[in-house]
Amino acid sequence: MITALLAQAWQAPTIDWHAIAPELVLVAGINLVLFIDLWLDESKKWAMATLSGMVLLGAFVPVVTLAVVGGDVRDAIFDGRYMIDEYALVLKGLFLLVGYVVVLMSQTELEEGGYYQGEFYVLLLVSVLGMVMMASSRDLLSVFVALELLSIPAYMMAAWRKRDPKSNEAGVKYYLLGVFASGVLLYGMSLLYGTTGTTKLTEIGAALAIGDPSVMQVLAVVLVITGFAFKISAVPFHTWAPDTYQGAPTPVTAFLSVASKAAGFTALLTVLYLGLYGATGVHEPYIWVLAALTMTIGNVVALRQTNIVRMLAYSSVSQGGFILMPLAVMATDAAESALRAVVIYLLIYAFSNLGAFCVIMAVARKTRSGEISSFGGLMGYAPGLGVLMTVFLASLAGIPPLGIWIAKLQSFRALIDAGSTAAYALAVIAAVNTVIAAAYYMRVLRQIWMAPAPDGDTSPVVVPPPIRLALAITAGGTVVLGILPGLVLRFADLPDLTGALGF
Amino acid sequence: MSLFLRDYLNVVWFGLAAVLVAGLLLGLAAAVRPSNPTREKLIAYESGVNPVGMGWSQSQVRYYVFALLFVIFDVEAVFIFPWAASIERYGAFGLITMLAFIILLLDGLVYAWKRGLLRWV
Repeated sequence: MITALLAQAWQAPTIDWHAIAPELVLVAGINLVLFIDLWLDESKKWAMATLSGMVLLGAFVPVVTLAVVGGDVRDAIFDGRYMIDEYALVLKGLFLLVGYVVVLMSQTELEEGGYYQGEFYVLLLVSVLGMVMMASSRDLLSVFVALELLSIPAYMMAAWRKRDPKSNEAGVKYYLLGVFASGVLLYGMSLLYGTTGTTKLTEIGAALAIGDPSVMQVLAVVLVITGFAFKISAVPFHTWAPDTYQGAPTPVTAFLSVASKAAGFTALLTVLYLGLYGATGVHEPYIWVLAALTMTIGNVVALRQTNIVRMLAYSSVSQGGFILMPLAVMATDAAESALRAVVIYLLIYAFSNLGAFCVIMAVARKTRSGEISSFGGLMGYAPGLGVLMTVFLASLAGIPPLGIWIAKLQSFRALIDAGSTAAYALAVIAAVNTVIAAAYYMRVLRQIWMAPAPDGDTSPVVVPPPIRLALAITAGGTVVLGILPGLVLRFADLPDLTGALGF
Repeated sequence: MSLFLRDYLNVVWFGLAAVLVAGLLLGLAAAVRPSNPTREKLIAYESGVNPVGMGWSQSQVRYYVFALLFVIFDVEAVFIFPWAASIERYGAFGLITMLAFIILLLDGLVYAWKRGLLRWV
């Protein structure tokens, strides 16, 4: 076989430079940031944040032009293993924007904490590059490479507060469980490759669609989903999340709970819809159980938290359950509405959750505390931040007309579209959970609006300009997407993901 | 039994088999071998020479940096050999691709050099 391969004339692949321009800009930017940082004077390190922000915005430009140009000419590059369709572009835009907001959040935190700055932004950009690649990957190998590229820098970023044992604990726990998850995922992938003979997702899908899946294939599907379940911190694979979120620096926590999670969901979506649709009988019940457990346990534990970051960590676990929910019915008529629900949820959740973390950072700069009680009397001395926090938490709770209500509506609609008993049962569980979730979000709001300031300190909060900008972006996204959901509803139609593949 | 349950029964069997095999191997070894620890048996083995110092020894953390730097060259070699074996086949395209790859890989070395990690203090 090798001699036959060697006998063929080899042709250089034609590369569509425009299609991979976002990745190229990021790679060039990573090198630029790395080298400028090496030769930059310590007193000018603040410039690294500005430069990284510009790199991310620079990578945004080709994403926009690709979306404007449209068309199918650029869809399949590298033999259909790397796709630049509308689904990929929307998610690339999301990852770049989240990266930009995280850079804004990190700027003051890193400067005031006296942490290494250049390296942090290099790692952040590398992680974003992995996510941008993930959005386009349509092959087991590129999915895995993208997953590692986005995870490995994140392990280090979680431990960035070097002198703080809690931050070290966060990094080590995240690293150990992340590597374990990669191992499980890789085991599943190797079984998939072994039983179907290909790593291209569409071909795996075609091979699985014939007849009932074999024993090995069942095992492969279960292992692959378990691997991703770690990444998206689904119960019972969520144990790393609260400790890591609490110990890591706040901008990193925001990054992990939004971007890293969204990337995990992107991978799960691509693999489920392209590769495993032939085995829905196997993974649907599994995902049903995962979704129900994730939203319930995340919520119930969040009720008892007194630390606000830890509470948001559990809340983000339970939000993950809501995002997972429509995937439990993807085999039925609801396939299309399920896909749309997940993508829209990821987009809107990113704004609201990032915003909540921005407010926490701004307030913690003054109070130096992460307890929920430290938010007492916020309305009195910082009404702007108080109103913004209200907006973000109300959005997370799903109150119209703010952001997430439309995402939750879409998730429920997917379940109703499916119309099976299992789908209705899951919808009931989700409805109960929405009410539970409202309770702990409202507890924070009660502190902000009604309780007095804990130590009578009512001096105003100084919000640095980068955080102001981050707050403006996230609040704008939360409110605008809630009032005009049509802006995102047209994205992520099923044909965009599966139609251009030509199987 | 429904198809779904049969599918997941496979997963359960697989998990049980994994636990069973590991348990069997460890258990069998524990059951068969004689257990007779003496002081000599418990000390660290050093090629027949009497051990020096404690079994728990520290090594220079700098070796860690060198191990990491070694990875740069190792990865480079893994990818360069197959490419070099059929260098004419891939022509100019292959050359430029490989140059880009090497430059990206050398980033790490330049970083280590500039941060002073290559100096043995």
